[in-house]
Amino acid sequence: MATATVTTPLKSHTGLFSSRTAGGRMPLTPSPRQRAINFNSSPFTPEKSSGDDKLGVSKSVYGGNLNARLAKASTKSQHRESPKSNIAAGIHTPRKALELGVSDFTLTGTGAYNKKSSPTADKTKKVPKVKSKSSKTTINYTGDRFIPNRGASSAIANAGSGKLDIKEKRRSRTGNSEASSVLSSATDDALAALEHLNIEEEDQSSYSRPSPNTVAYQDSLANACGVNLKTRILEFKPAAPESSKPIDLRQQYNRPLKPAGASSAQFRRRIATAPERVLDAPGLIDDYYLNLLDWSSGNQVAIGLERNVYVWSADEGSVSCLLETSPDTYVSSVKWSGDGAYVGVGLGTGEVQIWDVAEGVKIRSMLGHETRVGVMGWNKHLLSTGARSGLVFNHDVRIAEHKVAELVSHTSEVCGLEWRSDGAQLATGGNDNLVSIWDARSLAVPKFTKTNHKAAVKALSWCPWNMNLLATGGGSYDRHIHFWNTTSGARVNSIDTGSQVTSLRWSPHYREIVSSSGFPDNSLSIWSYPTLVRNVEIPAHESRVLHSCLSPDGQMLATAAADESLKFWKIFEKKAGSGSGSAGSSSSAKAEMTKQMTIR
Amino acid sequence: MPSSKTPSKPSSDEKDKSKVHKLSLKGSAKLVAEFFQYSIHTILFQRGVYPAEDFSAVKKYGLNMLVSSDDQVRAYIKKIMSQLDKWMQGGKISKLVIVITDKDTGEHIERWQFDVQILAKPKKSSKSKSAEIGDENSGAGSAAAAADKTAGDKTEAEIQAEIAAIFRQITASVTFLPQLSGDCTFNVLVYADADSEVPVEWGDSDGKEIQNGEKVQLRGFSTASHKVDTLVSYRLAE
Repeated sequence: MATATVTTPLKSHTGLFSSRTAGGRMPLTPSPRQRAINFNSSPFTPEKSSGDDKLGVSKSVYGGNLNARLAKASTKSQHRESPKSNIAAGIHTPRKALELGVSDFTLTGTGAYNKKSSPTADKTKKVPKVKSKSSKTTINYTGDRFIPNRGASSAIANAGSGKLDIKEKRRSRTGNSEASSVLSSATDDALAALEHLNIEEEDQSSYSRPSPNTVAYQDSLANACGVNLKTRILEFKPAAPESSKPIDLRQQYNRPLKPAGASSAQFRRRIATAPERVLDAPGLIDDYYLNLLDWSSGNQVAIGLERNVYVWSADEGSVSCLLETSPDTYVSSVKWSGDGAYVGVGLGTGEVQIWDVAEGVKIRSMLGHETRVGVMGWNKHLLSTGARSGLVFNHDVRIAEHKVAELVSHTSEVCGLEWRSDGAQLATGGNDNLVSIWDARSLAVPKFTKTNHKAAVKALSWCPWNMNLLATGGGSYDRHIHFWNTTSGARVNSIDTGSQVTSLRWSPHYREIVSSSGFPDNSLSIWSYPTLVRNVEIPAHESRVLHSCLSPDGQMLATAAADESLKFWKIFEKKAGSGSGSAGSSSSAKAEMTKQMTIR
Repeated sequence: MPSSKTPSKPSSDEKDKSKVHKLSLKGSAKLVAEFFQYSIHTILFQRGVYPAEDFSAVKKYGLNMLVSSDDQVRAYIKKIMSQLDKWMQGGKISKLVIVITDKDTGEHIERWQFDVQILAKPKKSSKSKSAEIGDENSGAGSAAAAADKTAGDKTEAEIQAEIAAIFRQITASVTFLPQLSGDCTFNVLVYADADSEVPVEWGDSDGKEIQNGEKVQLRGFSTASHKVDTLVSYRLAE
């Protein structure tokens, strides 16, 4: 304790502690010395003790506080452990403030004291404890100073608040401010501390008058049921305005945030917009109704140029002339058989020839059509031929009586004909703007006849991943691509392309379809399906694109146009790593064919 | 030195106190009311009470908030907000509830509840509260007290960030909330003190609770004076 007196003179402390003591005892003019005296406990002890006594009588809590802080083991009869913890919690702020001060204090104090007292720390702690029972709170300060221990420091706060409490009892609330006005020497820090103490004191007084448990109980009661009593639920009476239209959230969630074209940008794959290769195709007849280009499964391209059929080997880049017709007619259609060994050739006379390409010899001629055969399609051994008359014949190429079926539906030239890959359905399109979908088992009448197109239908393509899906494209006046469910006959989608649709090809690898255009765009357009977003439009040719066909690996598209050129586009290029074999073959072909090459 | 300070101290003490409390309470009430306004708009948009094209984006809380541009809806919400502002300033409100009701069946399908706790004026009361909590669990009590204290010195930016987090959650909640089918309308409820002034447009109502509803507690935010918690309850899909 003697040390305490020695170490005390610290301004901030002075303020702090003296203010606290002043809170207890008004008339004091705080000064370091007095504080020291205070610590030594002499002049004020009696008063304080009397206060403590009062507290002890009137509010057991205070005694409890003392006990709590000094000896954790000690329990009060009225209180369970809870009051102690209460104090710890409630005191939080003031304690902090005090510690701020105290730490200063200890800085000076501990140096001297620790050396002496640290070994006997326990002892010192105990001593004040014993004394505290005789209500010498001041001893705690010394104890606290040297043994910076949470319990003790909170005890200080308790002691302080306890005192303030007494004071408050004596005075009205205004007494507080009066008391604080007396604390003239307190620094701002001390002031803050005092403020906290005051709050704390109110706090404590508010709950310590009745037993804290009672208060807690009451409050919880109030919380439980008081809410309904104290508050009323109010509703804004006017009805909310009507929504301008019914809302389907599904639609809203699926709504693209940006215009479709922009939003597809991130999904858009890179598509080469330059042709891989350009070949001359001199003499290519500029006739929308003919089908003069086909690519075989053996990777050979057949093209009909006037009276000749040329075969270009994509593997080797070599060209050979397969046939030349008699001068009175011309080639109106070419079509490879499924195995790539034979090519069907339709002539202007209505004759259909079948040629063995490897041997370069004509195998047979099939007569029957009176008019030019503008379109053909293989289904295994069946060759379907569409003629200008609007008739479609099925030829079984193995037998002498080759004509096995006559499909009557179109009233004008048939220019589009496509078997489904499984051979179960056949789609035909004609200059009568009709699309006919035939069931291979009953060819007497078309299964469906679609009249939606407003112009000739040449472009037909079966979806490779959805057997029931057929895409059809109309001519100049129509410009639409329609998508059909060929099982139900329903039109499932449509695109207005803005120009004549001359051919349609589905990508086997991407969910895309490419359309070739005539007037005015002369372009290739790649559409995502089913979003129908145009991924890219390639200005492909100088005049209308007449024919297109896909390579057997599905990556390359060949287009023949009225500008008498044949161009190859790598629009469905597989991602790197897949299909390296075909890439190698095409690159070897490229080495040979780096520049334009003329067939013939 | 002590004597010279004597007169100024109590006054500055009081002034400080009043400045901190009154200003922050008022500002905070405004901030909370504004939060409510955007919440209403956001919920109306996210839950499809009004068509999406009626809404336009506004930069707020560092987010693109969608606010109805429909005159009628705006006027309706404005009317609600004008009264709400008054109540908030007076500290009269303990809850704001947005109830989405099926127009055909009159069933309450979804209920967004914002609990408002006023911390400011009764700094001591919040403390006494924490003391009560401490009665049962001292650890929690002191933790709460500490939390209260930190809430006081949050910066504006931190509060805005907390609010933005709530709106993100509201937006994200469409992923777990059931699809609202059919035409829906909404109501705004307020849990106000019994002694509040009530204009004619407002009348007593029941809580419009959702029977056997699923409840999801969302984030909350706090200012120096207010603490707002968000709770959405919804009818489970059959």
